[in-house]
Amino acid sequence: MTNTPAARRLPPWLPITAGSAVIAATYLYLVLWRPESLVGGAGVGPAALIALAGYLVGSALIIAGAMSRMPTSTVTLLPIAIAINIVAGQINNMVGLPLYLDSIGTVLVGLLAGPAAGAATGALSNVIWGISISPASLPFSTTQVAIGLLAGLFARWGWTRRVVTGVAAGLATGVVAAFVSGPISAFVFGGANASAGRSLIVAVFQAMGFDTLGASIGQGLTVDPVDKAISFLVAIVILRALPARFSQRFPFARAHAVFRPRAASVLARSGAEAPAPADPAPADPGPPPAGAPPGAADPDAGDGTTGGGHR
Amino acid sequence: MSTTLQFYRAGDSWVHRLNPVTKLAFVAAVTIAAFGVERLWWPAALFLLLEVPGAVIAGVAGRFVRMVLGFFAPFLVILFLLQGLTYPEPGTVLLHLGPLEVKTEGLVFAGTTALRLLVMVAAFVLLLLTTHPGTLMSAMQQAGLPPKIAYVVSATLQIIPSFQARANAIMQAQQARGLEVRAGGAAARVRRLLPLMGPLLLGALTDVENRSIAMESRAFGRPVRPTAYTVVPDSAAQRAARWAMLALAVLVIVLNTLGVFS
Amino acid sequence: MIRFRDFTYAYPTGEAPVLHGVDLEVRPGRFHGLVGASGSGKSTLAMAAAGFIPHAQGGESTGEVTVGDLVVADTPLPDLVTRVGLVQQDPFDQISGARFTVREEIAFGCENLGVERGEMVRRVDEVMERLRIAPLADRSPYELSGGQQQVVAVASMLVMRPEVLVLDEPTSQLDPAGSRMVVEALAAVRATGMTVLLVEHGLELLAEHADELHVIADGRIVAEGPPADILTDPRLDAWGIGRTRFTAAAAEARRDGLWPRSRPLPATLDGAAAGFRAAANGELE
Repeated sequence: MTNTPAARRLPPWLPITAGSAVIAATYLYLVLWRPESLVGGAGVGPAALIALAGYLVGSALIIAGAMSRMPTSTVTLLPIAIAINIVAGQINNMVGLPLYLDSIGTVLVGLLAGPAAGAATGALSNVIWGISISPASLPFSTTQVAIGLLAGLFARWGWTRRVVTGVAAGLATGVVAAFVSGPISAFVFGGANASAGRSLIVAVFQAMGFDTLGASIGQGLTVDPVDKAISFLVAIVILRALPARFSQRFPFARAHAVFRPRAASVLARSGAEAPAPADPAPADPGPPPAGAPPGAADPDAGDGTTGGGHR
Repeated sequence: MSTTLQFYRAGDSWVHRLNPVTKLAFVAAVTIAAFGVERLWWPAALFLLLEVPGAVIAGVAGRFVRMVLGFFAPFLVILFLLQGLTYPEPGTVLLHLGPLEVKTEGLVFAGTTALRLLVMVAAFVLLLLTTHPGTLMSAMQQAGLPPKIAYVVSATLQIIPSFQARANAIMQAQQARGLEVRAGGAAARVRRLLPLMGPLLLGALTDVENRSIAMESRAFGRPVRPTAYTVVPDSAAQRAARWAMLALAVLVIVLNTLGVFS
Repeated sequence: MIRFRDFTYAYPTGEAPVLHGVDLEVRPGRFHGLVGASGSGKSTLAMAAAGFIPHAQGGESTGEVTVGDLVVADTPLPDLVTRVGLVQQDPFDQISGARFTVREEIAFGCENLGVERGEMVRRVDEVMERLRIAPLADRSPYELSGGQQQVVAVASMLVMRPEVLVLDEPTSQLDPAGSRMVVEALAAVRATGMTVLLVEHGLELLAEHADELHVIADGRIVAEGPPADILTDPRLDAWGIGRTRFTAAAAEARRDGLWPRSRPLPATLDGAAAGFRAAANGELE
């Protein structure tokens, strides 16, 4: 056991790629290739173990990779985002909605700080929910990895600038989430879940002749797309309601103009205006207007004059 | 209202004093073992012979049983209804109930799945009942968990209660004004829920900048390796035990594959 | 120690500069107060003194800020935070959340600096003793009152042994009891000879502790000097600052001819008491 985590010595994309590959391989093995043992009745043990181990190892690698070089301003966002996930999820259950609402924070981080940060938020969210309130949510951390990852990717592709495309991105994310969580629902939990309503949907699908995995994915498809569309919508509305300064602090949101099309630099504008506030001290001649530096016309160079901040 | 989300019950038993990483290795080992063997009695044996005695030694048996049942009972009922009545694979039909069929294989599947979940959940509950979250995170950081991850877990565990308090206050205020949050259809409930959550989310997010400044003022995220103020006791015996438990779990899978359990 | 030279700054999303040509020097071992109305740029100045402007905020600047021999804009933030400690307004946001007891919370900065354990334990005990929070050592920082949390925030900075402590309105979000705790802690800090820059809206705290006051209005430093001079300056209202209760009471008395005419208006309780005592003894000239 070393005190210097391996992830720090490796480039961050390496564990992230490895983790994604482990998850993808686990999924393909379980769903596409269908090992023999799934057909037999109680024979889901190995499948469950592979689902648990593959998903958890994959998530752990993604968390380690995504967080190894994460700037502090993003790291401090994570506890708030995860708390939003958990508290909103609990309120949802308390009010009795047929939704989850437990990934709003994951989507928020994906939009602000990119796919890797979103994935780490999602994975840690279910780990923490698992060790604090409901151990059953821990195995589903990989679903949240997919949600965070997709939120970041859709943001990078500009889908979150408009509400309509943002909601569409949420629907698409929900479809993926349903397929990713299927094996965990089916093999680890036998298709059951804590909500009687959602379990009833699984029962209906099974009675229609689907196997447990198919019924679990089918159940996911009835809930996840709507749920993720709402989560994307809420995240976009919330981030628009915050002062622009908030999202501008995140290099990812700034670089990919996540919340609006690129506009002229505010710096250039402020430089063009001569500051003329009432001057209460006549002795003070007043400074020359802060001149826009040469790079200020480029929105990506937003803090180009500042020496780059903390890395 | 507790300030951290925790199941922890203070105590001074042998189980309490174990290094949390040892207990975590136990959770992993019994979970692997439970899922590794295709026998109905096997997870039941793990639960009764390892986990229940552990809870008794730690002096948390009553709470252990209540919490495990609290998590587990709803699952158990739903699982038996679901797989008992609509088991999708072919099997021996015991009973016809209209369009539904009760099959032996369905009941065995429900039973095995339920018992495996029981082992997994009970192992976690035992860990959390006997381990303070602060000690858990200190021990894991000592064992190599990156400080940033340890921070996110610790901070979230401590922030959630203040969030819950704020959310509850908002909900109660709404109910006091005569708004019944549970009434009406799903759409009506969503419409009422969203405006309630807005102020909570906005307030929390605007605080993030200050938190980030505070953390950087405390030299968080510096490239040097942090030292530890709290040192969680560990021993060579425990280190050996951790590897032994994981090795045993793997051995169980190997023996099962060789057909020892059938 | 900290020096602003003709420093002008605009936030990245701001329409106009917030600080205009600020010249200000914080000298070693002195307790400096910065006072200004809300929106005058005083919090921005505190952030610039601690290096979070420009490092965390971005934005544009001319002129420079130096800490000792370091130019803030050219020094990475991790190298600045060991020299300048920062205490912010909201005590709750300053609890790291990374640790579960007050003792560990205070030690957190030392852990990140890699301070050896024995030395760390000594420093934590010493600072808790000095700020009188040793009885809270094993409690959760989240269980504390706002005032206690703010004192823990001060302790968390002192334990890292910075050369300067910058405090941005540390009592603005506290009730009177909490404010009193922080004021007492500041008195203890001052007694150690620590260099301090205290940014405040309220004047009485500054009148009590500061060696030197700087007044900021609309992003410009408009006056500097000893508290007794600044706090009785007739331009205070124009700067949007108001006066201390003591100055206001004495001014009322003077209007009614009840204040010794030769005596300047007071800014502290002691000054007011002396003046009224003299007036009561008939010394009105």
